[in-house]
Amino acid sequence: MQWKSNFERQSEEEEIKAHGLTLDFDEIARRGAMSKEEKLIGKWYGVYASRHPGQHMARVVIPGGVISTTQARNIAGVAERHGQGRLNLTTRQAIQFHWLKVGALPDLFRELAEDGNTTFHGCGDVVRAVTACPMAESCPYKRLNVRPWAIRTQKALNDSRDLDNLPRKFKITFSGCPAACAQPYMNCVGHIAVQRGSECGFKVVIGGGMGWEAYVAQELFSFVPEARIIQVTRAIALLYRDHGDRFNRQKSRLKFVVARLGIEACRQKILAYLQQEGADTAGLSWTPFEESGRPFPDRPLALDSTVGTDGRGIVRVMIHQGELDHRPFRALAELADIYGDQKLYTTNRQNIEIHGLEPAKIPEVEHAVHTLGFETDGFYTLRDMVACVGTTYCPKAVATTRDLHALLQAVVRKPEFAAIQKQAIINITGCPNSCSPYRIADLGFRGMRIREETGSVEGFECTLGGDQQKHGQKLGEFKTPDIPEVVHHVLTTFIHLRTPAETLTRTVNRVGIAPFQKAVFS
Amino acid sequence: MNYPYCKATNPTEYSVVEGLGETAKDQKTLAKDIPCQAACPAKTDVPGYIEQIARGDLDAAYRINQECNVFPGVLGRICTRPCEDACRHHWTNTNGPVQICHLKRSSADHLSRPPTALPGWFPKTGKRIAVIGGGPAGLTAARELIRYGHAVTLFERRTTLGGMMLDGIPRFRLPLPTIKAEIALIVSSGIDVRTGECIDAARLTELEADYDAVVVATGTTLPRPLELDRPTASPPLPAGSIIPGLDFMKAYNDGQVTGLKGDVVVIGGGFTAVDCARSCARAAKRLLGDGGEVSIMYRRTEHHMAAELEELEEIRLENIQVRTLVTPLGLVTENGALSGVRFIRNKVQETASTGKPAILPIEGSEFVQPCHTLIVAIGQEQDRSLLPAGLTAGEGQKTNRPKIFFAGEFLTGSSDVIHAVAQGKAVASEIDRVLMGVERKKNHVTIEQMRHMGDGETGRQRAHDLQSPAPMPLTDIPGRARDNAEVEQGFTKEGIPVAATRCYLCHYKYSIDNDLCIHCDWCIEVAPRACIKKVSRLCTDADGFIQDYVETDVSAKATFIHIDSDACIRCGKCLRVCPVGAITMRKASLTPCLANPS
Repeated sequence: MQWKSNFERQSEEEEIKAHGLTLDFDEIARRGAMSKEEKLIGKWYGVYASRHPGQHMARVVIPGGVISTTQARNIAGVAERHGQGRLNLTTRQAIQFHWLKVGALPDLFRELAEDGNTTFHGCGDVVRAVTACPMAESCPYKRLNVRPWAIRTQKALNDSRDLDNLPRKFKITFSGCPAACAQPYMNCVGHIAVQRGSECGFKVVIGGGMGWEAYVAQELFSFVPEARIIQVTRAIALLYRDHGDRFNRQKSRLKFVVARLGIEACRQKILAYLQQEGADTAGLSWTPFEESGRPFPDRPLALDSTVGTDGRGIVRVMIHQGELDHRPFRALAELADIYGDQKLYTTNRQNIEIHGLEPAKIPEVEHAVHTLGFETDGFYTLRDMVACVGTTYCPKAVATTRDLHALLQAVVRKPEFAAIQKQAIINITGCPNSCSPYRIADLGFRGMRIREETGSVEGFECTLGGDQQKHGQKLGEFKTPDIPEVVHHVLTTFIHLRTPAETLTRTVNRVGIAPFQKAVFS
Repeated sequence: MNYPYCKATNPTEYSVVEGLGETAKDQKTLAKDIPCQAACPAKTDVPGYIEQIARGDLDAAYRINQECNVFPGVLGRICTRPCEDACRHHWTNTNGPVQICHLKRSSADHLSRPPTALPGWFPKTGKRIAVIGGGPAGLTAARELIRYGHAVTLFERRTTLGGMMLDGIPRFRLPLPTIKAEIALIVSSGIDVRTGECIDAARLTELEADYDAVVVATGTTLPRPLELDRPTASPPLPAGSIIPGLDFMKAYNDGQVTGLKGDVVVIGGGFTAVDCARSCARAAKRLLGDGGEVSIMYRRTEHHMAAELEELEEIRLENIQVRTLVTPLGLVTENGALSGVRFIRNKVQETASTGKPAILPIEGSEFVQPCHTLIVAIGQEQDRSLLPAGLTAGEGQKTNRPKIFFAGEFLTGSSDVIHAVAQGKAVASEIDRVLMGVERKKNHVTIEQMRHMGDGETGRQRAHDLQSPAPMPLTDIPGRARDNAEVEQGFTKEGIPVAATRCYLCHYKYSIDNDLCIHCDWCIEVAPRACIKKVSRLCTDADGFIQDYVETDVSAKATFIHIDSDACIRCGKCLRVCPVGAITMRKASLTPCLANPS
């Protein structure tokens, strides 16, 4: 390869980006392979190399986590034609194809576009898909419906060509209430709908993130009027564009900017950006206030089929390990067409929801879903585990997360743990990038290799007692075959120590990690 | 707390994470990691000063050299550069080693402030030491002994200090002002200099009685004799027909050789032979090619000549003939004057051994090389006439008399300035240890965590390695003939950065803590070349020094992820990408530690 010798203090990626962010995929398809530079810029088109040589991943952007059934059928068709029929749901409500040849990419883009789907800005140093609560419209605790804001914010920022070249990725999420189901505290920008007196708006937190160095987002504004939220988000993106580290990509993300500059300085800069853009900053507040919305439980989404505040039913579909075939995906779309609102909703726990059902039809739809081979209960419980794709597809992964997923299913489904199903969730991630945010789960696993006398074997670091605002503590490092036993000890200890309504995280926070360590290591 | 898994011990290349490494392992790792410094007889901190040059602080670079090798300006011109042979660029790179020597000279050429004498290490001890010989070894010993707190008297037979630097090396390679400035710097530290004082055996015995210690560093001053047949019963040849190489150099440097007539033959293949030939060419104004020939006649091949390839090229440009594989047999005279030298051709007999190949004469291949002046430069030997009867060399630099020490070429035989400097430093340390009863100054391996360079940044990129270095600017041929001008002009300020940024900065050490490493291999992916390896086994010697490893490409067989310092370019990308903070950047250096310093 050619080594450039201008010796500027910037990453190689920045140097490549400076030469342009556009690719001719027909040309690439004719050539049959992507150069190193094209592989980087390919991310702007949502294309990523897969772990399997010659295979690529493409990520369909799903703003707000909702697609029409037409779009769903389109995605299923593309998967069938180009991606060995397989679909993967991500923890940011997107859908991925993992078995793509370079030659298929241009046709794939064109075919997706026929029904308004796109992979553009699915990856790369851009504003990524904006996520939202899956039950944004009908959750009993919602302060306001955040889904339209998520979709509009996504459109506004993705259409801004001055935000095409950020230092790294930029992730935004909208949560309908302070229960924070949309994970605002671990996104670059988290918008949390709040109620101040009779007025609803957003609390804005920034600088959260998982990855190899995790940060909890800090409060930027305690209250932003609903109508200002897109402008405020854009101002945050501008701050990031101008202050993110362009030399060290590992320290580029907004969380490092906030940690480096401090939240106060960030706020001043953001206010200045708002002024520069001619935006009205009048309603913005950063003084704390008593939130006056309806009290909410720890995990509002820890329920199965339900009827929302709009009087319409919801059936949830648990997707095993987040991967499904195009045929059942089409069948789910058909169910939504026949019984629901002709939309499919994706969740950040890699599941799918069908909304807008006649409450009376719920059992019928559930039965249909069961026939397809999916469960419709157990959400936000021990068995609703989230595993990233791990070494099954991801070139970055260190461990086979799906193997652990399968091993642990057998443990958590034991009758002795029936009573605590809703008291803990498990996230498994294959590498420190934490695509499955292991630090915020009651039980978290992060892939690693553990060395032996000679050689090394797969294992996981286990963390205990995490939530979005207080990350889990390290329990230890274990080889994969030992982990079922470890989890068994942890859950048994939890049963002994818990108070009736307590989650595992609350118990760990109350009694500390020591009793669990003792149980595991003695 | 962990499951009690059986794990291979976490390997470490230095015995400490930070602080002083005092084990043999530390010394060995340092020597492996910084091969230039290990190769330097005076253990010059090469990456240390090149890093300063790359940052633009030439004064600091000069000070490092002044501390390590005493004569930066001199050695920057005429050092035999064992460091460059050891340079890691030399292993793989087609662009040759880092121009360490030229860079040293640059630091002396472009000083912003005149250098000052180095401070002492210890208060006055009241001990008095005599150093005999004002050459590089004697001067170095004197400077170091002063810094130990001893009083030093330096005796020199000639009227000026400098020894071989002054007499043995032509001014067009080493100008007089450079030598004088650096000697003055040493003398200014408080040495009592006695020039014009010739020490004989009787005087040496007196000194032995008067002083606490005596260093004999009088070098090699006697020419090694060459036995040549001469026509029987011929009258003696006119004076000046056959000249020993060193005598010729001395005369040339003193301006006593102005014109040479006819053909000159220089016998020998060492530095002196080449210097003599180049000086002859100038003395005879043969640079431009008029009249007779200057020839170097050497019995082995060019490969075994001391001169570097670059210098051989210059020799040819200066119209000097180089004939190799020839052995002189006898002299040919005509009318009582020298007219030629009879040579026989040799052939090389390759052997399986790695030493110098054997040379076999080819029968019947004799020929006569026209010659009117013969310079014999086949080496020098020690003049031992100043030693009192019964005085013999002992262990190391000691002798069989407790107060007398040998140093420099007088001890080692014909060598070069950098070895003489190393000898001077060593004898000073040895004398101090003997006089004071303890080792008051010791070199330790210091390991420093480079936390202030938090992102592991040295500023280096792979492209720095692959730069084409600038050649040393040279005086053109007519210019060399005119006024005996210095041939190498030194880098301009603009030429320095390319040369300096090529240096791998081997004193920085990136290593992986395998207790933290999770084998994600991300560092291997971003590595600019095959510098980070999956390793199933590390091979250590009895001291725990990691001397080799068994590489694997199978994750299950990878016990460790290992950064191979031999291939590391010190870009720090691995440190920045490591998701678990397992990679640290440290700096390893050889630093003096003083016991009870002043």
